[in-house]
Amino acid sequence: MKSRAETVKLEGQAKQAIETGRNRLILAGCLVGLAFTAVGARVVELSALRNQDEPSARASLADTELAVGRADIVDRNGLLVATSLRTPSLYADPKEVLDAEDAAFRLATALPDMNPAETAAKLNSDRRFVWLKRSLTPREQQQVNSLGIPGVHFLDEWKRIYPQGSLTAHAVGFTDVDDRGIAGVERSFDDVLRGGREPLRLSIDLRVQHVVREELARQIATFGAIGGTGVVLDVDTGETIAMVSLPDFDPNVAGQMDPDSRFNRATLGVYEMGSTFKIFNTAMALDAGTVTMRGGYDATNPIRIARFTISDYHGKGRWLSVPEIFKYSSNIGSVKMAIDVGTEGQRDFLTRLGMLRETTIELPERGRPMIPSPWRPINTMTISFGHGLSISPMHLASGVAAIVNGGIRRPVTLLETDVPSPGERVVSERTSRDMRRLMRLVVEDGTGSKADSLGYIVGGKTGTAEKVGSGGGYKRKALMSSFVAAFPMHDPRYVVLVMVDEPKGTKETHGYATGGWVAAPAISRIVARAAPLLGVAPVDPKSPEIRRDLMIEMPAEGGKRLASF
Amino acid sequence: MRRSTILWFMIATCLGVALFMLKHEVQRREEQLVDLHRQILASQEAIHVLEAEWSYLNRPDRLESLVRRHLDMVPLDVKRLGSIEFLPMRLTPTDPATDPALPLDLAPTLAGLPPLPVGRPIVLTREASR
Repeated sequence: MKSRAETVKLEGQAKQAIETGRNRLILAGCLVGLAFTAVGARVVELSALRNQDEPSARASLADTELAVGRADIVDRNGLLVATSLRTPSLYADPKEVLDAEDAAFRLATALPDMNPAETAAKLNSDRRFVWLKRSLTPREQQQVNSLGIPGVHFLDEWKRIYPQGSLTAHAVGFTDVDDRGIAGVERSFDDVLRGGREPLRLSIDLRVQHVVREELARQIATFGAIGGTGVVLDVDTGETIAMVSLPDFDPNVAGQMDPDSRFNRATLGVYEMGSTFKIFNTAMALDAGTVTMRGGYDATNPIRIARFTISDYHGKGRWLSVPEIFKYSSNIGSVKMAIDVGTEGQRDFLTRLGMLRETTIELPERGRPMIPSPWRPINTMTISFGHGLSISPMHLASGVAAIVNGGIRRPVTLLETDVPSPGERVVSERTSRDMRRLMRLVVEDGTGSKADSLGYIVGGKTGTAEKVGSGGGYKRKALMSSFVAAFPMHDPRYVVLVMVDEPKGTKETHGYATGGWVAAPAISRIVARAAPLLGVAPVDPKSPEIRRDLMIEMPAEGGKRLASF
Repeated sequence: MRRSTILWFMIATCLGVALFMLKHEVQRREEQLVDLHRQILASQEAIHVLEAEWSYLNRPDRLESLVRRHLDMVPLDVKRLGSIEFLPMRLTPTDPATDPALPLDLAPTLAGLPPLPVGRPIVLTREASR
């Protein structure tokens, strides 16, 4: 305070100026102080209170999962059937290319499949971006790199790879060059595959698929057929264990395929099934109660209706019991069974069995059954032996699965399912048991004896249908020979269907190209090879338990009974 | 007054140096982390490619042709499959109650055995196979 006293006292104008200066200083100080407080608060907030908004190196890379373009597809054992790999694609910016002709010529030395003239035209265009080649191999990339052409660049793209090649071609399908699914599961699950990282697990077992494909290919080659299809279904879950359609294609080079080989005969093709349909006809009649296993019909005379004559292929010319009608595949007996059930009953039964709608399989390639309209009595008669109603082989297999598994129909699926759908009952437990006996009878002592496989109790039904010609009417020489089987017949677990398109008889088969000669041997070999893979244990077919389960009493017309095993 | 100033000055300098070193350490660790992440991604991609190749090399038709060429294996024959029940029945030791000289855990010797048991036929039900 002493110093204050010594200072000069200012009065008037000078004092006022100092006052103003002081006020301004305080104001400025306050402002600066406020600003510092704000900065300090922000520092505290950023460093201590919230750090998740500011991207740090850790946060931005926490996601160390490899992001592939499309999820993998695996079989039921986890083997890869489709995956995406990063491959370089070659593109050019024509503005940067100095000498288009020279560049095109040099590129052709590294990539021999490129046409220099076309490439030069692309490089001379006005755009800033042209694709030169998609999906190069590492070697090609190295060669192009070493050419050092300005204006030519690489861009990494995801390319779909199918390590199994053509083995699962129709089930898995393929994608286009921009990674969009355009066939098979790739298409029906396009959204899931694009978004997901978890692999999509199919119900297909690659080993069984291979067995079916190989055996089918062998029959096609032996009998000079134009194609064929094979299906294996799990009867208790509706899962598709194998689905083969031949001819097939390599989905890795889907662009070069023959359009005929793209056709999925197993699910898209609809055919008149012929005698295999008698499984449904017989089950229908037994379930409706219009005839019993002891009953039968007179099959002496062919049936004449309108301008058609329905006769038997293996005619016996006498009264036939229901097991005999099934065993000898009698058309006359089948027609009479269907007439007793009636047109309405038949249509209801086939509707319940899912034969009049598309199957539930998860593929875009699903054939719509060809149903007679209107459904006249004549249609009822022809449908009883499998003509006049066209269904896909997958329909047939799923229907047979429902008949033999105790009478429960479950939707067929291509995805592995842990909990099978409860399904709905189509025939009674008793009818299912009778049908199993009848199907075993066909293999044991009928047209399907070549389908048997020691220890696996195969049962089934042959079918040989004449294909419809281009001008309507049936072609005698163009057959669809099929066999649909289930095994083991005392407790069925799998249904196997083999169908061969236009087989020609050989010397070994005495010129026959029927289901019993063409498809049945394939069934036998498929069962023998696939059953150990599927965990079906062989049993002794002569053991009393199994004989009792599958025994059939063969009624004769006079009431005399013959036991047949 | 002077002492405390020096003390505060030293504390501030130490803190400054520590902070500086900490910052550099964090930076170094973050770079390391980024590098590790990059390596993980590269490894994952390599695994992905190898998986595809493994699957390609495991095609059933290729395995089959390799087995045909290099191994003496034949397709599985049903007759080679059996079950536990197919084995001869286990030998029953003599009842220790009537023969106290024979301890329970001793395996029976060949002498004085009942006739060799015969195999029972295979009866495999679905339950047994699962």
